[in-house]
Amino acid sequence: MKYRYQEEMSPPPARRATDVAITRFEHVYEVEPGLMTEHVTQQTFPNWDTLRLVRSRADHLAWMHRHFADKVISGEELLHDLDE
Amino acid sequence: MSVLIGDPVLDELRQILGPGHVLTGKADRLNRARVPAPFPVHRWAERMPDLVVLPASTEEVAEVLKLANRLRIPVVPRDGGTGLTDGAVPLCGGIVVDVKRINAIREIDLGNRTCTVGTGINALKLNEVLARHDLIYPDDPASYPCSLVGGRIGTSGWSLIGSRYGHSRDLVLSFDHVLPTGKVIHVGDGIGRKITKSSSGYQLKHLFMGHQGTLGIATEATLKLFPRPEAEFSPFWAFEDYDSAYRAVGALARAGVATFAGAVLFDEWKVAYLRRDDEAYIPQPSSVKALVCAALYGYEDEVRAGGRRLMRIARSHGARYLGDEISEGDWAARHDRYATPLHGRTRSGQVVPMSWHCEDASINYTGLPAVRLAWHEIADRLRRESDVFDDWGMFAYTNGATGADYLTEIDIGIWEQRLDDTAWEAWVRAKRDLAAVSLAHGGSISACHGSCREGEVDLVPEELGGGYDVMLDIKRTIDPNNIMNPGKYLLDQAYAEKS
Repeated sequence: MKYRYQEEMSPPPARRATDVAITRFEHVYEVEPGLMTEHVTQQTFPNWDTLRLVRSRADHLAWMHRHFADKVISGEELLHDLDE
Repeated sequence: MSVLIGDPVLDELRQILGPGHVLTGKADRLNRARVPAPFPVHRWAERMPDLVVLPASTEEVAEVLKLANRLRIPVVPRDGGTGLTDGAVPLCGGIVVDVKRINAIREIDLGNRTCTVGTGINALKLNEVLARHDLIYPDDPASYPCSLVGGRIGTSGWSLIGSRYGHSRDLVLSFDHVLPTGKVIHVGDGIGRKITKSSSGYQLKHLFMGHQGTLGIATEATLKLFPRPEAEFSPFWAFEDYDSAYRAVGALARAGVATFAGAVLFDEWKVAYLRRDDEAYIPQPSSVKALVCAALYGYEDEVRAGGRRLMRIARSHGARYLGDEISEGDWAARHDRYATPLHGRTRSGQVVPMSWHCEDASINYTGLPAVRLAWHEIADRLRRESDVFDDWGMFAYTNGATGADYLTEIDIGIWEQRLDDTAWEAWVRAKRDLAAVSLAHGGSISACHGSCREGEVDLVPEELGGGYDVMLDIKRTIDPNNIMNPGKYLLDQAYAEKS
């Protein structure tokens, strides 16, 4: 988290991901702002909060795996086995 | 029916339950008037109960039902309130019996691998306790973190990993059940609480599962337990066309891998929706048109061996593995679909808040392609009629280990705040049409939710034929005064015939 308020309230520049989505942080996507102007408008989030939401989701999903099993098998490993 | 504060009914209920467990406040009743299924918000008042009770035991439930039966007051049981066919929604006012306080773990029997619980318990919370014993109760709906065991019994629920472990009907061994008259019976295979197979007498367990609260209230259940899995494998694969994905999911389901817990087919509309409004798969090339995932659970050596076999089968059908990160993240999200905030689009592309609704059916594998096209035509008609509806695509989930039939669902986004009578009628008509397609292809109207909502319920007598007449006879016999969840499954006609 940045110390200065203005730094947190200035997200990185957007890159277009698809015709309906943009991205500002790696693996984080937003609806193209022009599509959220009539019925739902976008909120301004500090950067730390955007990243907190994304990391919390990742934490939740990792927890869900641990809840159901001790270990998750890697498909990439199994594919490597098939190729050998 | 109308119950007023000070009414003798309230006094009697407070004597049974204690004054703090009889709720009459508007918020208490509003919050128990609906479920996550599309809801005619403009007609909310029609679904309001008169009061809510919170019993703590089978005996208290029995006393409440005796009172309701004596005074002919409608009763609607409510567990997690997460069902998608309105089983927990009152249509005639009356008393909502909220069973969340009946949530104790009574026994964990390590020798027989069972546990006995109050039906107000949630499987996730139960499994946190069972994990200390390396055990799991593997009933895994999309509402896993919020549905309750009693609701799973009342709806005869469907489990995401049911191809490996069975569904609620297989996992619930027996339960205490309060009949509409207040009489308490125990139903299972035979009379045994922990018996998995009996040929003694009629098999009543299935009768008292999936009745959507029309035949009474389950209060204490004995459940089958399994070893907690050592390993999980959940590969996701991409395909360039639906037909290849369809052939692949069939081959995976028919492979006979012992640790196979389920497979899911995502059609083109679903992939397009996920890229448009769910963030998922945005980085994938536009050539990705359909997806398949599978899940395996068991000991690590078994899962690795089965996993290699499924990877080989998928590859032979043109699949591209999407990598560990996507596979693991997306599978974990399948356990918890109710936590996802949702939005859809108007026809002009503007984002609007929408609630999610899936219409489900049970369809044989060979019927999936035709049902898919017919259902999307219906969804397209809805979309053309109103901006209230959005087509979010279809999933098909394996029902069992042999790949015979699939829980087939079409997800429709609904802008509930804009629903009015015209849009609601269009929705109900569409539901009826979706159900008719399922029957025309030899399927069942529902694999998972039940079929007692407006629209599809009209076709239940057609689906069940003479069996529906037996339903009417059973309802009239077990619930002579029609107090349990009146208005559901068209069962009121059982009493019209009598009069």
